[in-house]
Amino acid sequence: MCCQGCLAAAEWIEQLGLADYYALRAVPGHKPDAAADQAAHDAWQNADNARHVVRDLGDGLRESLLLVDGIRCTACVWLIERSLSAMAGVVSVQVNAVAQRARITWRDSQIQLPRILQALSRTGYRALPLDSRGLDDLRRIESRDALKRLLVAGFGSMQAMMFSSVIYVAGDSLEASTRELLRWLGLLVATPVVFYSARTFFVGAWRSLAARRVGMDVPVALAIAAVYVASLIEAFRGSGEVYFDSISMFVFFLLAGRYLEMRARHRARDLTDSLARLTPPFAERQHEGGFQRVGIHELRVGDRVRVLEGGIVPADGVLLAEHCRADEALLSGESAPVKKKRGDALIAGSVLEDGPVLLRVERVGADTALAGIAALVGRAHAERPRLQIAGELAAGRFVARVLALTALTAVAWGYFDPSRAFSAAVAVLVISCPCAFSLAVPAAFTRALGVLARRGVLVVKPDALQALAESTHALFDKTGTLTEPTLSLADVQMSGETSRDDALRLAATLARQSRHPVARAIAAADTGLDERAVTQVATLAGLGVSATVSGRELRLGRGDFAMAGKPLSSEYDDAVLLADDAGLIAAFRVNERLRADAGAALDALRAQDMTVLISSGDASAKVAAVAERVGVNAWRARAMPADKLAWLAELRASGARVLAVGDGINDAPVLAGADVSIALAEGAELTQASSDIVLSGGRLDAIAQARDIARETLAIVRQNQRWALFYNLSTVPLAALGFIPPWLAALGMSLSSLGVILNALRIGRSMPAKTQTAPTSVTTSTHEAVA
Amino acid sequence: MNILLLLIPLSLLFLGVAVWMFFWAVDHDQFEDLDTPGLLPLADSDTRPEISPGPPPT
Repeated sequence: MCCQGCLAAAEWIEQLGLADYYALRAVPGHKPDAAADQAAHDAWQNADNARHVVRDLGDGLRESLLLVDGIRCTACVWLIERSLSAMAGVVSVQVNAVAQRARITWRDSQIQLPRILQALSRTGYRALPLDSRGLDDLRRIESRDALKRLLVAGFGSMQAMMFSSVIYVAGDSLEASTRELLRWLGLLVATPVVFYSARTFFVGAWRSLAARRVGMDVPVALAIAAVYVASLIEAFRGSGEVYFDSISMFVFFLLAGRYLEMRARHRARDLTDSLARLTPPFAERQHEGGFQRVGIHELRVGDRVRVLEGGIVPADGVLLAEHCRADEALLSGESAPVKKKRGDALIAGSVLEDGPVLLRVERVGADTALAGIAALVGRAHAERPRLQIAGELAAGRFVARVLALTALTAVAWGYFDPSRAFSAAVAVLVISCPCAFSLAVPAAFTRALGVLARRGVLVVKPDALQALAESTHALFDKTGTLTEPTLSLADVQMSGETSRDDALRLAATLARQSRHPVARAIAAADTGLDERAVTQVATLAGLGVSATVSGRELRLGRGDFAMAGKPLSSEYDDAVLLADDAGLIAAFRVNERLRADAGAALDALRAQDMTVLISSGDASAKVAAVAERVGVNAWRARAMPADKLAWLAELRASGARVLAVGDGINDAPVLAGADVSIALAEGAELTQASSDIVLSGGRLDAIAQARDIARETLAIVRQNQRWALFYNLSTVPLAALGFIPPWLAALGMSLSSLGVILNALRIGRSMPAKTQTAPTSVTTSTHEAVA
Repeated sequence: MNILLLLIPLSLLFLGVAVWMFFWAVDHDQFEDLDTPGLLPLADSDTRPEISPGPPPT
């Protein structure tokens, strides 16, 4: 049992006889926020709030889409569906574990949303409403359409293949009328494939032509249209060959590749587009002496808002309370909370370490700093180099040549032997159809995305694979990327005769009286239980803690506070001191701990001939120490996002292709401006939205593996394209000269596509996925001084 | 070969029915979540509440 919420849920589960939950769940449950915001649910009843999240389905039915925090496995899904649909008035509950979403429909006369949400939080899950008309609907429609198209193409190609294989096998022994019948049947099953399933290609081709570009859809659409029309003409003329089977199979192969690619993309996006979590949906506004919960969109400039301890600041504002500490890690990427005093600015999205405090709203919505950063991300996106254009141009040239060659064949045969002109031209068009060529990239990419996803590497933008394979420099952020997001005790420096353990014990005793992160780090370093009496505790914000322990007056904190004004050498500037009236006892230095796999991960990247760089907003001494530990020579400290972008531009101007790795919002512009970017999934959600690749599980060593796979993918793509080119170059002349009957051309086209797909399946075979990296003890177990 | 005149229309009819059934299944969320339903039989209960298989009327 990890917390109170779980306990409640567990009791409740027992009561209802739902103990199966424990048998079914695959991973330990989620630890819910102890201060589960019960009152928040009432605010949903407010019509103004409800308008945004509840959709009226008519007939007294309401529907809402919720982002449910903490769904880990299918057992969670089972629990939620079970508990909610048992309530009277709830019509349907659909929970998707991968997307962490729940779609709930209820009868408004019997139950309201707040009660449903209460029931949900009783089970230990926190629900955040999503805009019902938002992204999710689009995605559902896209995925359903794709599935239907794929199936029609699959059935169509099976049937068409059946009909034409009769023609192939029986050959001339077939009666003319039967042959005729089979051709018409082929037309019958291929027509829906071309007009329904392949419509996406025509639409895509039309769109790229309208934008005056020759996209990959153009050759595909042209080939489908040309072969279909040619076969149609043959069917009506009743002579020559028809290619209804080849055209259906072609469409089916292409759609299958695209469907798998889309599934992988949606999966990666589901995990990343959780922007809703950054700002709270509600704020407590001061209203006639009391506080009223209002939706965040109702806040106006000048409103007074109360934020509780551990709460998230809803809008940019000015602190009205005496002082507080705010964790701005979302914004700055740095993990230590920032002290604020009356009149200081608080930024939307930051978390208050203590409270409750009152603040006056200064900026709301799109004017907040958070929104500003999002806009910066957008601008950097626009400057992203478009590597894909080259491939599309090549395909365009390829199609132009094929068409020219087809026309040439028709003209030449028309000159020599007009009766064979059409069949030869069609053979050329079919055999050189860019099928294998257009499958070369998606087949390999689809396979690569799947292989990577199984290793916790989620590729959001497929272009990123190419950029990753071609990257030459890796630019890492320090805080939270190379280091663990939490602080740890680095070093204890003794002064006087107290033993190290005793000093640590004393310091930890004092540190437990404070919630400051440095104090927590010191307290965490001492594992023993302390029975000594602690009296006269005084916590002075920004200075330290003083207390009387076993009759001895001790102070823990900043140098001038601990030493009570006695002179102190400058070497202790960056340390936390423990002192009594007699003088200094010990100096503690706190540092961020390197991630277990940071050194190995960077070594692996260097082994691939990459240049590794570090850029951080932290003090240069700290950055230098981390850089030395992981063997990096080139680093820059005290870097603001603009500085990081400038360095990036500098590197790229010198011909480098830069891979940026980060986690904070501070990195978002850098991530978006790099050639390719990787975000760690435990970091702030916004960064993930702006990165090309997301590492779930926070394992840095996956980067080098991913780059290996990306390089292998590009190699396979190149092989596939060469194979397609070789196949075309060797067969097209034969077809043009009339040596290849069109049915053989169709068979060749299908086999060449199959070869491309089988080759793509080799990706990732040589590199079995490691289940878990062994902890590299060198970097974790020794708490060397970094500062 | 006359049997073909019966069998081919019959196969096309089957094809049409299969496509229609599949479309129905896709439209009724049968492919939305492929993980959860597989676990449900493990919960040996007869009291599973009625969950409407279809999307609510829009």
